[in-house]
Amino acid sequence: MTDRTISNLQRVISSGEFVVTAEIGPPRGPDPEDVRKKAALVKGIADAYNVTDNQTAVVRMSSIAASKILLDAGLEPVMQMVCRDRNRIAMQSDLLGASALGLRNCLCLSGDHQSAGAGGKLKGHPGSKNVFDIDSIQLISVVKGLRDEAVQQGGDSIEPAAPFFIGAAWTPLSPSEAFRVIRLAKKIEAGADFIQTQAVYDVAAFAESMKKAHDRGLTERAAILPGIIVPRSAGMLRYMNANVPGVEVPDDLIKRMASASDPGAEGIKITIELINAVREMPGVKGVHLQAIEAERLLPEVIEGAGLLPRPSYSDAD
Amino acid sequence: MSAKSNKNCFEPEVVLLYCQHCVGDGAEIAVQSQQACGFSVRPMMMPCSSKIEVPYILRILEQGADAVELVACPDGGCRFLVGSLRAEKRIDYIRKLLTQINFGAERVGISRGPGLSGEELLALAADRAEAVRNLGANPMKKGEHR
Amino acid sequence: MIFAEWKPLEELTDKLGGFKKVLLAGCATCVAECAAGGEKEVETLAPLLRMGLKEKGFDVEILTATLEKQCEWEFVEELAELVQQVDAVLSIACGIGVQALAERFDERPVYPGVNTSALTIRQESGLWASRCAACGDCVLGETFGLCPVARCAKSLMNGPCGGTRANGSCELDEDVDCIWKLIVDRAEARGALESLAEIKKPKDWSASRHGGPKRVIREELRQ
Repeated sequence: MTDRTISNLQRVISSGEFVVTAEIGPPRGPDPEDVRKKAALVKGIADAYNVTDNQTAVVRMSSIAASKILLDAGLEPVMQMVCRDRNRIAMQSDLLGASALGLRNCLCLSGDHQSAGAGGKLKGHPGSKNVFDIDSIQLISVVKGLRDEAVQQGGDSIEPAAPFFIGAAWTPLSPSEAFRVIRLAKKIEAGADFIQTQAVYDVAAFAESMKKAHDRGLTERAAILPGIIVPRSAGMLRYMNANVPGVEVPDDLIKRMASASDPGAEGIKITIELINAVREMPGVKGVHLQAIEAERLLPEVIEGAGLLPRPSYSDAD
Repeated sequence: MSAKSNKNCFEPEVVLLYCQHCVGDGAEIAVQSQQACGFSVRPMMMPCSSKIEVPYILRILEQGADAVELVACPDGGCRFLVGSLRAEKRIDYIRKLLTQINFGAERVGISRGPGLSGEELLALAADRAEAVRNLGANPMKKGEHR
Repeated sequence: MIFAEWKPLEELTDKLGGFKKVLLAGCATCVAECAAGGEKEVETLAPLLRMGLKEKGFDVEILTATLEKQCEWEFVEELAELVQQVDAVLSIACGIGVQALAERFDERPVYPGVNTSALTIRQESGLWASRCAACGDCVLGETFGLCPVARCAKSLMNGPCGGTRANGSCELDEDVDCIWKLIVDRAEARGALESLAEIKKPKDWSASRHGGPKRVIREELRQ
């Protein structure tokens, strides 16, 4: 395994090619085969694959471990790190370990509060202490320090520097909207190289947000990848619209899914339309695709949007 | 079984705390002269149901009454505006506390006037007595340890 | 004030059943302000304990006293005679008061009757809300008088996460405002929104309980 200091994701973005990232949720168990099975479903359809970090505070195989399994299976992972569970000491230690294992992309997130893990059929760990020693913006700075100055947050050095391509999240439609682009600016100022957004369904609203980002000079400093979640039913869209902060679904989209004779196929059509719509917007450098517990739908979507094959580079490039 | 026969001859003692403004003339004298059958009633007139604080009611139960019924003016009819509403919230609170100590939420309750006669007051006490019949006598009256 | 609430009564009667005589000690300061441990609450809890214990078959005599403060030795001393007469003490003061009694009267078991949980303001009758987390590094001067350490579930320092609901509440609890939305609103109202563009560095938590138990000396006040 050649040691690359530039990640594949970084390379695709630099080349100007429209980027595709997808997401893989690690299993609620220790079997690496579960990760490999999902990997097999989505190999080759994206430039990099996000691996969530105990998403919604539900204990799953760690992002770093699952990311390494993906790497060994020939996929480029984007590890995720939330601020809920680790203090700055553990975070920096895990980052050094991740780098040692060959992981290069890291998405820095606040993370859901631990109470989110108790819901539906799950008991979770709502009684756990939360950490939130630092927030996501501070984490971005920390990763940047490890990469560009070979220095820890507290000032001690590391040897050598740890190469990372740094990601952050953006939820442009959450209140207060006036501040959301300032928050994006802070993340990019702190060192974020790429941005993945909360799921987009309202194209016009997102276009407005992109314009604000563009006007503030942010779109040339970081690659913005709008998030797109494949809709499976009108119910799912209604649920997200009502319950997921920052997700706004236009009424006519819900009606369209509700009246579709084949909601599955309609959902894929809608996804492809959304991809094509955001592709037109200045500053959009790719898409981040999610199909919650339905990764098998992604190949059809990505192919249908004309985004296959994904570029590959020999080590000579 | 002795427990069962105890319940049969259990005559709940109900303390009736009633607001002076929600009863008609002569109600107090009337309720005292009525014959209570299967229960006993101790009427106590209050200037307003809102004057009745939580510790006061608990002390009545602590001293052995089997039940306490608060009688207050209807919503919007309280001379002190929100008095009867406050009284209701306090009764709800006491019921929750009584449940916590396994004493029986039914031992306290609240009813509303207005213009109640002596017979009507007695009927409210009778209802409260019925509600606690299955709970048995107030444990505070027991002399022996289990 | 320091905020506390009664422990479940079942837990208290379980603890006290074995004793003959118990002193229920209240405090007229913080816990009285949050309706958990003042004189009125002592008068409410004492009959409840007697009734709850009797229901379980225990005859426990409960004496009562309410001190001005349970965190001042001069007031704690007032209980000395009473404590001699009892087998155990149940304090419904905050954790500081419980420990003060336990330290002064170390020959008797002293139990907490409340759970101390927050530093709050009484917003209105019957409503208390967290205000301070005692972090030891106050940032209220930079956040327009609104504390993100105590009032943001994630103690974020650089603005709201993506979890602010459409109506401006926190995704954790729709009855709780997203404090960062309130901070942004206030910044906007003052024409100072851009001041929030500054990146706040990681907090030094060592001044809070994370740095270890505090022991502070003010030499000019020592005898």
